Order: sequence, then structure tokens, then C-alpha cells
Amino acid sequence: MNPAVLHTVLLGGVAALDAAPVAQTMLSQPLVIGTVLGFIWGDWVTALEVAVVLQVIAASTLPVGARTPEDYAIGGVVGVGLALALASRQPFIMAREACALLGVLGGMLAATGGVPVLKWQRRRNEGLSRWCEEALRAGDERALGAAQFAAIAVAFGVGVAYCAACLTIGVWALDGLVGRESIRLARAWGLAEPLWLGLGLAHVLHAFVQRRLARAAVFGGALIAAWLALIMGTR
Amino acid sequence: MGKLTGFDVARVALRTPLLQATWNYERQQGLGWAWCFAPVLARLYPDAAERHRRLAEHTAYFNTQPTMASLALGAVAGLEERVAAGEADPATVTRAKHALGSALAALGDRMFWATLRPFAACIGILPALTGSWRGAVVMWVVYNVVHLPLRFGGVSWGYRRGPEVLDPVMRHGFERLVRGLSVLGAAAVGVAIAAILAPGGEPRTVAFQASLLGGLGLGLLTAIRARPSPTQWALGLGALCLAAGWWR
Repeated sequence: MNPAVLHTVLLGGVAALDAAPVAQTMLSQPLVIGTVLGFIWGDWVTALEVAVVLQVIAASTLPVGARTPEDYAIGGVVGVGLALALASRQPFIMAREACALLGVLGGMLAATGGVPVLKWQRRRNEGLSRWCEEALRAGDERALGAAQFAAIAVAFGVGVAYCAACLTIGVWALDGLVGRESIRLARAWGLAEPLWLGLGLAHVLHAFVQRRLARAAVFGGALIAAWLALIMGTR
Repeated sequence: MGKLTGFDVARVALRTPLLQATWNYERQQGLGWAWCFAPVLARLYPDAAERHRRLAEHTAYFNTQPTMASLALGAVAGLEERVAAGEADPATVTRAKHALGSALAALGDRMFWATLRPFAACIGILPALTGSWRGAVVMWVVYNVVHLPLRFGGVSWGYRRGPEVLDPVMRHGFERLVRGLSVLGAAAVGVAIAAILAPGGEPRTVAFQASLLGGLGLGLLTAIRARPSPTQWALGLGALCLAAGWWR
């Protein structure tokens, strides 16, 4: 197996752990995990193009309360990994944008498909919890550590398996399409990238502004000042 | 009866990253809470039967924002010390857990999920838009400079302050942090949009700028409602763009 593919699949397990069961340090966010994948595959440009779009969409997805949001930990790994795997099989650099489009779409689909997988895992943990309580009442203190270890092992295993399945299906189904239709796909990327960035940033902006006029003014001021600084800076 | 030492509190703090390892719909963080709390019970209850009984009680339903849970763990450790010494009723622990869980979740969800995480993402994508790997590092550091000290230091902080850990002064401090980050976040979104419109000072094509503005407008309209989610909207847009790119 290609070492880059192996590392990508293992990172799927690491991301699945960081997302909720272990620490939640944001290592599993698409931008962070995408950058690591860019380093592994040696293709920063494709990795960051996909990771930035997925990150902007993921930033507006909130894991509040008991709600199970889209799983962007796996979505990030699958999206960036798929784009990189497809791009690495194309001889022309032009096909990169086609791969980025399919990577973002694949990442979002994997994130959406990850919700029932997460729910299944959490329902499975209910059984683990009941077993552990019974063992504790029977005087077995080690059951608590064993339950924690089992849940972590399952989360890692499910992350690796789901990521591997998504990548395998994605590369198998889309490799030929990129080769044949890279121009059409690149055209679609040209339309979709700004729309996605705008949509995601608007959701994030809405969360920050909260209908407060002063914050909206800060946003407008920063936009104009940065625009002027960028334009004047090149003159 | 024993008394908690700094080492016990540190052991609880080191276990907090696994608070959500066994998260489930029935007890939510209950089992993870018991695992984090086990060093406290090991110190306070030398009698194994009593310890097992208390440990089983601590597996009961609990849920809060995972970083803020450290404060609750510390505060409840202090209460458990009083229960073990016979100075308080075990029901006090249950009541304090419920009260702290709800209050910390309300504050923590707003601070970490709705503010700090999107803020870190906005700061991180600024370097990433120029193709730099530093964006990921910036994002990770900005989030964890608040998250990690609170996660690991929160237990000892909660232990020192007790159930009043969330007093008005601290609540006010968190609220100020949320407000400050929201203002900075709004500015960061503005800078990010300018950087996307004119990367390196070279304005993008009119079609690109129009698409970005279209996405922003749609996003502002759809952000008012929780459903469909941003991902569902993005998938719909992607399908439309794919069709448009195919048949144009």
C-alpha cells in the first residue's frame, strides 16, 4: 500500500478520536488535518484549497448539547485525502481544480454520512455504560478503565474503517471521471469555490454579529480597510 | 477519612481529556465523569464497598461543555471531601453536579463552540489563503491557548473555589471574553473576505467576486434558520455548480 494512503487512513482514526472522545484540541479540524495531509502527500496547494473551504463550512457547524452535527473530523480527512489521491494520479496540473471540487464534495458527503456512524457508536456506548455500572456494583473498579479503553479503541477503529471505505469508493468511482472531464469539473470549481466560501463565512459572521450594529460596523470597516491595504500595498 | 492532595487534583486534571470517551445518549458524560473522578474517591474512601457505591453513583447522567467540565470536577471534588468527612449530605453532590453542568454548558457552548472555534478558524484561514501551512498552526494555537489551560487548570481552580466557582465575577469575565472575541471575529471575517477578493492585491475576476457576494447573501439569509444546515446548503450549491459547469 502507498505509505501516503496508509498515513491518511490512520489520520482518519486520530481525527475521529480528537473530535470527541479524546481532548478535542482541534487537531481534527479540516484546516489542521488538511495541512498535515498536504505535508504527507507533498501537495500544499491542493490540500489547502480543499481544507480552507471545508474549514469555513465546518466552522459554522456547532456540536451544542446532545445534537450530533456533521462529522467534519472524518469529512476533512476524506475530503483532503480524496483530492490529494486523485491529484496524485493525474499527469496534468490542470486537473488539480477538478480534484479539489470532488474532494470538497466527497468531504461534505463523508461528514454527512458520518452522523449515523457516530450515532451508532454512541448507542453502542450505552451498552458499555450499563455493563460498566454492573461491574462497578459487583466491586470491579477496573471495569471503568476497561470501558474507557474499549470506547477509544472502537472510535479509532471506526474512524480508520470509515475513512478507508470512503477513500476507496471515492478514488475508484472518480478517478476516471477526473481524467475524462477535468475541464468541466474545473469550471464547476470556479463557480462553487467562491459560493462555498461566501456561504460559510456568512454563517460565521452571523454567529459573531448577533444582530448588533456595532459589530456589523466593525466587519464593514475591517473589510474596507483590508481591501484598501491590499490594493494600495501593490501600487 | 483522607484529605485530597495536590497530586490527586492533578490526577483528575490529567484524566479530563477522556471525559467524553464513552459519551452515550443515556448517561452522556456520566461514565467519563466517574473515570475522571476515581482518584478523588480512591483517596477519600479507603473502604472498598463504600468507594464502589460512590463510584457507581457518579456514573449517573451528566453533561456539560467538555472543557468547562474541569471546573465542575474540581468543585465537586471539594464537596465530596466534605461528604466523606460527614459534613455534607451525598445529595448535595448530585444537586451541585446538575446545577454546575447546566450553567457551565450554557456559558461553555457559547464561548468554545459558538465563538472561540469559529474565531480560531477565521484567524487560521488568513495565512492558509496565501498557501501557507502556518494557518493550521495559528488556528491550533489560538484555540488551545484558552482551551488547554482551562481544561487542565480548571480542576484545581474549581477545587479552590468550590460550588461558587461560577460566581458573577467569573461569569462576567467569560462574557467579556465572548464579546471581545465576537468583535475581533467579525473583523477577521472582513479581512478574510478582502483577502479572498483581492489575494496579494490583485482583484479576482468580476464573476468570482459576484459569486462570493452571492454566497455571502445566501449565507446571511439561511443563517437565520437552523435547518437546512450549512453543509446541506453547501451540498445543494455544489450540485448546482456541477450541473452549471457540465452544461455551460
